[in-house]
Amino acid sequence: MKDFVIKAKVVKRELMILLGAFVLSFFSNIYAIIVHDGQWSELLSQLHVVVLLTLFLYFLVLLIRLIYLGVKFLWRSLSSKSGKSAA
Amino acid sequence: MNRKGFLELVSSLAGTTLLATKMPWFGIFNNPTGSSMAPSDRVRVGFIGVGSRGRTLLLNIQSIQDHMNVDIVAVCDNWPEHKERAEALTDGKAKGFLDYREMLEKVPMDAVIIATPLHEHAHMTIDALNMGIHVFVEKAMARTLEDTKAMYDAYLNSGKIMLIGHQRLFSPVYLKAMDMINNGALGQITMLRGWWMRNTDWIFYDVPGGRGSTLDRQRNWRLYWDTSAGKITELGSHHFQIANWVLDAEPLSVMGSGSLNYHKDGREVHDNFSLVFKYPGGIHFSYDVLDSNRHNGMGFQVLGKNATVQLEANKLYLENPPAPPAIRTMIHNIESSIFETIPIGGATWVPAEPVKYGGEYISADYELNDTQLFMEGFIEFVRKGDAPRKLTDEGYNASTWSLLAEQASRTGKVMTLPQEYKLKKIV
Repeated sequence: MKDFVIKAKVVKRELMILLGAFVLSFFSNIYAIIVHDGQWSELLSQLHVVVLLTLFLYFLVLLIRLIYLGVKFLWRSLSSKSGKSAA
Repeated sequence: MNRKGFLELVSSLAGTTLLATKMPWFGIFNNPTGSSMAPSDRVRVGFIGVGSRGRTLLLNIQSIQDHMNVDIVAVCDNWPEHKERAEALTDGKAKGFLDYREMLEKVPMDAVIIATPLHEHAHMTIDALNMGIHVFVEKAMARTLEDTKAMYDAYLNSGKIMLIGHQRLFSPVYLKAMDMINNGALGQITMLRGWWMRNTDWIFYDVPGGRGSTLDRQRNWRLYWDTSAGKITELGSHHFQIANWVLDAEPLSVMGSGSLNYHKDGREVHDNFSLVFKYPGGIHFSYDVLDSNRHNGMGFQVLGKNATVQLEANKLYLENPPAPPAIRTMIHNIESSIFETIPIGGATWVPAEPVKYGGEYISADYELNDTQLFMEGFIEFVRKGDAPRKLTDEGYNASTWSLLAEQASRTGKVMTLPQEYKLKKIV
């Protein structure tokens, strides 16, 4: 059976995306508090919503990346096939 | 709310007008009699009627008998199987009888708990009171206004305790809700609503001969006018008591209508009815009962200008609920802008749809049994030899208005309480 190797670079990249999602969610909470006259205590009390939003954004980005890679893979396969048949 | 929380609540309300005037019986939990476990301090209790409800009361007394020094000395039921079952529950310690008079005469006791068919309550209660025995009798008090008044007079003349089994009187949720109402949390109270809806045939025993037979009339006594007013006395009575209690008043009148539209199997009492009680200040209490649909379940609402309490559901609904956290509002707004359809034509008015708001709990994590608390209160009052008259009056008023509601629903007339049945206000 073939081993899968996850490189440190990949892990670092995923963590950076997750951190980015968290920062975006956290600032969204600050923005919402200002716009909707919330209380600053919600920065802590609604942290669970911020975490859920973070995960939602992370998986949204992951989905977009998977679709992009899928399309890219399909495009390459089709290009190589048409190249062979032309030869 | 657990027991500790309940005792803290009662203690915090000590000295308030709420505990002093509206529900003085809760004071017994602040000032227990401090009984010892000595045999001389033991409260001796007998039971008359140990069928479905009587058995429940027996089990409740058993659950407190060790720490409250109670002795179940006798049980009585004219159905031998009920008598034997109750004897077995007490491991044979309680003496069993088929005739309650024999029991009252032969076994010395301090108090008796009566849970027999409604039409039997009056003579049993009066006999016990006249023999100097304190009484707890299941609601409603009696089948007729005359019997109800006779019980009340016997209670006054005997100087003994007579409590009626409206157990919500001992519910900590109701105590807390009454505190909220008293403090004006609801604003002006403008309406009360109650309902009790089930999808059941309400048959307790299958008997040979079927509906209408003599045996069925004895065992399923709740289904016949001679012995019961149906769900008005057996269920509604609870909610009529709450309405009086919340408004601290008696109704001015009651009107209504009832019928038998589904369970046409030979029974007599209505399987559905609607009532409207009119109270001072133009307040109305509407009450509906149905036996063929349980969608709405059971409920009792007090509606005020600022909030609604739904007592049976332990819930408070503010008219202007606090805004949700800002981030949730933002997410909700984004969702709405993406998924909500925008009508491009149609009605120009907005339909008055029910408010979609989950409300707050009146008492979170509720774990107490109000029937057991009532039994504790009763034992404490018996040991003290006295109970607040208001507690008995609550039961009396609920019982008389149950019987008037029955008359209203059967005749279509607007009923008021005749002068001779009115109680003098406690001063």
